[in-house]
Amino acid sequence: MNKFFERKLSLISFIFIPIIFLWHPNWLGLLGVQPYWPLFWLLPWAMINGPFNGLIFGLFLGIILDSLTLDNNFTQIPGLILCGILFGKIKFNSNVLVRHFRYGLICSFGSFLCGNLYFLQILIKNFSDSTFLLFIPSFKNILAEVFLTGFYAPFICSQLFRMFKFSKRKLQ
Amino acid sequence: MLDIRRISTSRWWHKKKSWVLFGIFLFLVFVRISKGSFYKDLYYFISKPFWPGQFQKEVILKSLDQEYLMKFNLLKKDNIRLREILSLQELSNDSISAAVISRKTGSWWRQIILNKGSKDGVEIGSIVIGPGGLLGRVSSTSLLTSSVTLITSPESKLGVWVDRIQTNGLLVGLGDNYPSLILYSKDVDIKIGDFVSSSPASTLLPPNIPIGVVQTIDEQLKPTKTAKISLLAKPHVIDWVQILKVNI
Repeated sequence: MNKFFERKLSLISFIFIPIIFLWHPNWLGLLGVQPYWPLFWLLPWAMINGPFNGLIFGLFLGIILDSLTLDNNFTQIPGLILCGILFGKIKFNSNVLVRHFRYGLICSFGSFLCGNLYFLQILIKNFSDSTFLLFIPSFKNILAEVFLTGFYAPFICSQLFRMFKFSKRKLQ
Repeated sequence: MLDIRRISTSRWWHKKKSWVLFGIFLFLVFVRISKGSFYKDLYYFISKPFWPGQFQKEVILKSLDQEYLMKFNLLKKDNIRLREILSLQELSNDSISAAVISRKTGSWWRQIILNKGSKDGVEIGSIVIGPGGLLGRVSSTSLLTSSVTLITSPESKLGVWVDRIQTNGLLVGLGDNYPSLILYSKDVDIKIGDFVSSSPASTLLPPNIPIGVVQTIDEQLKPTKTAKISLLAKPHVIDWVQILKVNI
């Protein structure tokens, strides 16, 4: 049983992303905004398994998270797919400090990308609406999300990275 | 000579009693000028132990509560009777209490998930109210849960009624805690503090459900007038809600 958990650690942790997305712990948030949780999992996964796996699991994450939100008109899939591919192309850095700092920067950039792609969809849908008033709350959302994702990424990504590497080594 | 000395010792200002009387007179003059303030203040301290206490206050407040409850019930009955006569929309009495099990009140998504689903009779389109007033509408249900789109969500657009100026408006969620009220006339006299409730003309909501209060008014050179609404029911703190079926 323990061996099963060790081998499938990355996939088991995948199940927890929608749960934490629904849980929405306010004490970890800023201005009511949460960090973009799926990126914390997607970054180490894609870095270890490459861009193709990043794309596939970005798509899976997008499908699951879209099913949990009530906005039927907008999707998180494009942002997560793009992030999956980009994260898969990133090379490791041997310096521990630089590596941690990079996790933060990369996740911030990913969150910025996903946030903007989501906002772009809202903008396109409401292009003809003269009473569109969503600009300021959207910028607030994007900025808070970028900051929080970058802030938590070094702690969470490095742990997940170690776990995934460990389970991959066990597989080989 | 002896007589003179005797007369001089019997002057009135040599007597202590005279000075006492003079002192009392001065005190009375002071009392007169101060319009009895000394006595009133003295009475304040003497009567303090006998003031109407907390118990009496509670009795009066309880009586007032009962009075308001009776008035409220009478008005409610009147309202139902008049609505029946006019064949207007009616709010169902069936309500389901539910707990909030997931809350997304920040970021892009504004939704809550409740612990009652289709098994408990929750239907899509049912309205959800919390302490204070309207929270949102049920958008999807599973067997055991139901998801509610909050009125702060950008997906939410509802017809509302501003009672003071007797005007209908559109309440649009902006993705923050203050939805925007759009009034399609530049000349309406909306003011800060105006009370906003669900519109009698709405096809989505029953009428007269409290929603919020006008917080700020945006004075832009546009054909429409917009105002920010402070909600009475705060979705980020409410743990228990009521789901009401809508018979529209």
